[in-house]
Amino acid sequence: MLVHDLKLAFRSLKRNPILSALMIGAIAVGIAASMIAVTLYHARAGHPIPWKANTLYAVTMDLRDDDPDLGFSEHPEYPPFQLAYPDAKAAYQSDIPIRSVMMYRSGRVVAPENRNVKPFGATVRVTTADFFQVFDVPFLHGNGWSRADDDSPAAVVVLSKFMNDKLFGGVNSVGREVTLTGKQFRVVGVIDTWMPQPKYYDLNASSGFDVPEDFFMPFGWMQALKLGPNGNVNCVSKRARIESFDAFITQDCVWLQYWAEFRNAADRDRYQVFIDNYVSDQKRHGRFPRALNNRIVNVQTWLDMWDVVGDDSRMFMVLGLVFLVVCVLNTLGLMLAKFLSAAPISGLRRALGASRVDIVRQHVVEVVVVGVLGGFAGLLLTLAGLAGLKVLLFSGMLIGSDNPDRAAMMQAMVHMDVPIIALGIALSLLTGLLAGLYPAWRIGRLAPATFLKTQ
Amino acid sequence: MEIRALLSALWRNRTGPLLVAAQVAITLAVLVNVAYIAQQRLADASKPTGIDLDNMFWVGLETLDSNYNQAAAVPVDLTYLNSLPGVVSATTVNVLPQWWGRMGLPFAADPKQLETPNGGVPGAIYFGTDRFIDTFGLKLVAGRTFNPNIVVPPAADMAASIATWAPEMIVTRAMANKLFPKGDALGKTVYVGLNNKTSTIVGIVDHMQAGPSPARFEQFSIQIVIVPIIPPGPGGTFVVRTRPGERDRLMAKVEKDFADLQPGRYVRRMEAYDVTAASLRSGTRASAIILATVAFFVLAVTIIGIVGLAAFTVTTRTKQLGTRRAIGARKFHILRYFLVENWLITSGGALLGCVLALAAGIKLSTMYQTPRLPLYYLVAGVTLVWVVGVLAVAVPARRAASISPAIATRSV
Repeated sequence: MLVHDLKLAFRSLKRNPILSALMIGAIAVGIAASMIAVTLYHARAGHPIPWKANTLYAVTMDLRDDDPDLGFSEHPEYPPFQLAYPDAKAAYQSDIPIRSVMMYRSGRVVAPENRNVKPFGATVRVTTADFFQVFDVPFLHGNGWSRADDDSPAAVVVLSKFMNDKLFGGVNSVGREVTLTGKQFRVVGVIDTWMPQPKYYDLNASSGFDVPEDFFMPFGWMQALKLGPNGNVNCVSKRARIESFDAFITQDCVWLQYWAEFRNAADRDRYQVFIDNYVSDQKRHGRFPRALNNRIVNVQTWLDMWDVVGDDSRMFMVLGLVFLVVCVLNTLGLMLAKFLSAAPISGLRRALGASRVDIVRQHVVEVVVVGVLGGFAGLLLTLAGLAGLKVLLFSGMLIGSDNPDRAAMMQAMVHMDVPIIALGIALSLLTGLLAGLYPAWRIGRLAPATFLKTQ
Repeated sequence: MEIRALLSALWRNRTGPLLVAAQVAITLAVLVNVAYIAQQRLADASKPTGIDLDNMFWVGLETLDSNYNQAAAVPVDLTYLNSLPGVVSATTVNVLPQWWGRMGLPFAADPKQLETPNGGVPGAIYFGTDRFIDTFGLKLVAGRTFNPNIVVPPAADMAASIATWAPEMIVTRAMANKLFPKGDALGKTVYVGLNNKTSTIVGIVDHMQAGPSPARFEQFSIQIVIVPIIPPGPGGTFVVRTRPGERDRLMAKVEKDFADLQPGRYVRRMEAYDVTAASLRSGTRASAIILATVAFFVLAVTIIGIVGLAAFTVTTRTKQLGTRRAIGARKFHILRYFLVENWLITSGGALLGCVLALAAGIKLSTMYQTPRLPLYYLVAGVTLVWVVGVLAVAVPARRAASISPAIATRSV
């Protein structure tokens, strides 16, 4: 019976090839528009470290004495997203978190031993020792360093996989030396491919998406080498005075990212009390003029607060769905027209003994066929659209970079994974059914006599 | 005209027309808002920069070791660049204008303003030599450029540079008017936040833009303070303006000679300035293209809907139409009938669409903090929908008009 219905469906589609093509095309375009929007949204809205959803927290303190963004900020009620060095140092004293990280991004010049390779600028994350464990960074060779190495500081670095490939041809380089702006460092570890997206641990990047740093070095080098931050520096107090690097780090300027990992929620609450007490104490010294507003938030809240998804992704999402609605309405109208114009045939079938259910089923099968064909064409269109968007949106990000992670990141931004493809198939069936059920029902309700009369 | 018959016919088969009206409504709402957003973005991206982008390029130097003598190197580099035949002018800068990064501080005409919350005027800061104005091709409208011998040599680091500051500054007209609304900025003293310094305004330039920005943040990119300081190392960024047509030749020459002019460094990157400015705007352009594509497809799908409905109506009414022709209706009457029917459907949709468009416009303007959707966009949108509706229905309507009166007699 189903085979017969399918045969009828294809014959009916062939009877009005232009109309059928238009219907399939409309569904395809609608599916493609919404799928592209969903894919882009999905890439931005992911959780980068779900297994630490309730143990990993960003730490912020509200050091401002007025709105430091002078109207730039969408949410003036949020504390700055970074800490000043004196406060980060104070937070680091607590042993309530099992691990804590204070860190920032800087840059150095790499002079390869091989004289044929031109020197090049590289990004450096200057961080305390727990970084690799807090963010679950996978190691290819070697390890990180100890807290004692932060203090001394030890002349050691951890390399990204890309840097290890570029400088050492991908071999185990632990124990080898690299020269960063005239200073020698010993390699103690090489990390494996690791690219959390969004780059939640430091949102100082183009709208929250960037590749991780090339080098990681102990935090003590911040003062030892006077390594300035290359991210956002915001002097949030009018009393801040900048005279030199050594003076700068003591001032009320925020520039450090700070994260803490806890055993459980109770520890997080204890840490909140610890931070609040610290800030209350500082108030006695005339710092932190505002009411207590220290936020210790998990990764999801953090990403929501700083709106990593972005208004544009949301707008395109709504636009994609509205587009799909237009296509459903369109297909509904065309389907109705098509079915009604073929009503005499149905009338004839009814008169020859087909039941109402038979007629409805026959048309529903046709609707499903249109939905599936439209969905299939839609998926192809989605792939084409995403490929076009990749060039349009991200090709600028590749200029002047030989880091393959950057290309991988671009690809991830337009990647259609299995759940999204499944969603696309479900969406196309749903579209077909939404557009076709009413026309199928209408045609089933028609009295056969009406049509037989006119023959 | 047979308006009552027309309405009654529409009412008897209302599903199709209602669907088309709904499509028209949504399409109008999408079109109008998408066009408005795209237009705003393109307008933001194409505001004048005040900079002679087409004849400029920049060079970024990076040093290989920490012993590099920045203070000694920069004057040599500047002399070399400025002496090249074909170069109009060259300067060094702290941050490139029309680049991603910015540096800024609060400024005020009265030091008390710097102590009050949100007091002071935010200004983007550019360090450069006495040749900054010439290099960027800015138009000096009052005062003079810096005296070459007051240009402050590079300090140990950026913090020290800001702390040292300089006694003179040149500001953009936007900055001057914000600091001194009476228009008497030239020669006045300006107080600087964070470093307790003051400078005298010695010149005012007409216009300069630090980078493209949404209209609501525009003040932050056109309120600019230029200070005669050679920025600290390591490395450095140089900007060069050439005579028209000489840029490519000079870029090749500078790339070849510049790093080797002095040891201990290399050219990290160099780029024509119009390329830099364009890449800063590529995201905006991309989103405008996406929005235009969406608008195009929504309209296309709706046209398909209108044509489909009209074609269907013509097919199912073939006999009635033949009958009407047989009893005296002329081709023109049939044509008019379909055009009016379609006009009623699109107008109904357009009416609903205006409501939807306004609602969506209010939502979008709060989301993006932009001005409300101007009403002339609605007028244009409705006109477009009318025109497209008439064109879409024209083909099926002409087919209807050409139905032979003899049809009426045939199938009896």
